[in-house]
Amino acid sequence: MLTLRKAEDRGKSDLGWLKSYHTFSFGGYSDPNHMGFRALRVLNDDRVAAGKGFGAHGHRDMEILSYVLEGKLAHKDSMGEEHVLGPNEVQAMSAGSGVIHSEFNGSETEATHFFQIWLIPQTRGIAPSYQQFAYDPSEKHGTLRLIAGPDKNTNPPSAFIHQDARMYAAVLGSGDTITYTIPKGRHAWVQGAAGEIDVNGMAIKEGDGLAVSDEASLTIRGSGAGGGELLLFDLA
Amino acid sequence: MGDINALVVFYSRYGKAEKLALAAGLGAIQADANIRLRRVADHADTAMIAADANWKKNLDRMNRDYVAPRPADPVWADVIILATTADPSSELEAYVASLSSLGSMSGKIAAPLAQGNRESALKPISSAAEHCGLVVEACGDGEDPIDTARLFGQRVTEMARALKHRT
Repeated sequence: MLTLRKAEDRGKSDLGWLKSYHTFSFGGYSDPNHMGFRALRVLNDDRVAAGKGFGAHGHRDMEILSYVLEGKLAHKDSMGEEHVLGPNEVQAMSAGSGVIHSEFNGSETEATHFFQIWLIPQTRGIAPSYQQFAYDPSEKHGTLRLIAGPDKNTNPPSAFIHQDARMYAAVLGSGDTITYTIPKGRHAWVQGAAGEIDVNGMAIKEGDGLAVSDEASLTIRGSGAGGGELLLFDLA
Repeated sequence: MGDINALVVFYSRYGKAEKLALAAGLGAIQADANIRLRRVADHADTAMIAADANWKKNLDRMNRDYVAPRPADPVWADVIILATTADPSSELEAYVASLSSLGSMSGKIAAPLAQGNRESALKPISSAAEHCGLVVEACGDGEDPIDTARLFGQRVTEMARALKHRT
């Protein structure tokens, strides 16, 4: 079963310096029909103006992933971690028993566009931790590149998360096709990040999301003139 | 979402009281509170601040990381953690004195802490909080001031929880 969550039906926030689309309920946007999908609780599509950002705030018991599409994201937290990440870099923070952090556009001149993703961890109260890694963009061209998952020390590197879930990224040129086999009993979420793709024949454009249940496999194809970029979540 | 709302308001010039506030805020999160972090603005004029490069540098950073308290914050809060410099802060004292004009503070906890746990800095804050009807809980001393602040944040959150859910 494929259920489309259209980009234009997402929640919206506009604070001037922040323009955000919420696939699931978040902050001032609350819709009981869109509280998440399996362990995937938050999927925010954020555009932050130059030099602006989210001041110090707290989290606990959440696996928080940041995936930058354009620009730079500067992070600072109560664990003493202070980093800047850009496209083709991934940040994963396990809030666990508690963390305070801030996130700002790392550029004074250019906007930042990134996805912030929250997954509910399997265990509460774990020790907070931070990971960041870079990868070559070619690693996600025409194939699903593992970004985060429940396995430690993967090769190539990915972020370890405390949940039975995997996040992949892929960039598909027009006509490029990949197939993903969904293990029996598991679910998937496909998020259009840029351009156009189709999934089992269903058109997905930038910002669209697709909930997948009771399907054995996904055939994902880059479509339109330039293909597209996507995130795929494999979820228990 | 936690069942307790903790407002952390601080006054800091060079970042030391800010660290106490962050530690107490982290403790509140560890005790499952929702938190808001706020810095009260300086009373000093901009020329005085600009003459002190370290103050100016930290102020620019803190102005980016924190907003000033909003009128709705203390109404939202079950516990208000108040962190101040070692010297008495007229900025934080004035803020606390204004709380009763923003709504009823009855049944809420005020949790003051100061660099060095200095009585001279804590007393004006505690007095202003009591005058507003807040229940004041003292931090006390500890070997590690940051960890003491963190544990204090946990303790006052649990106190707020007990007060909120008492039968």
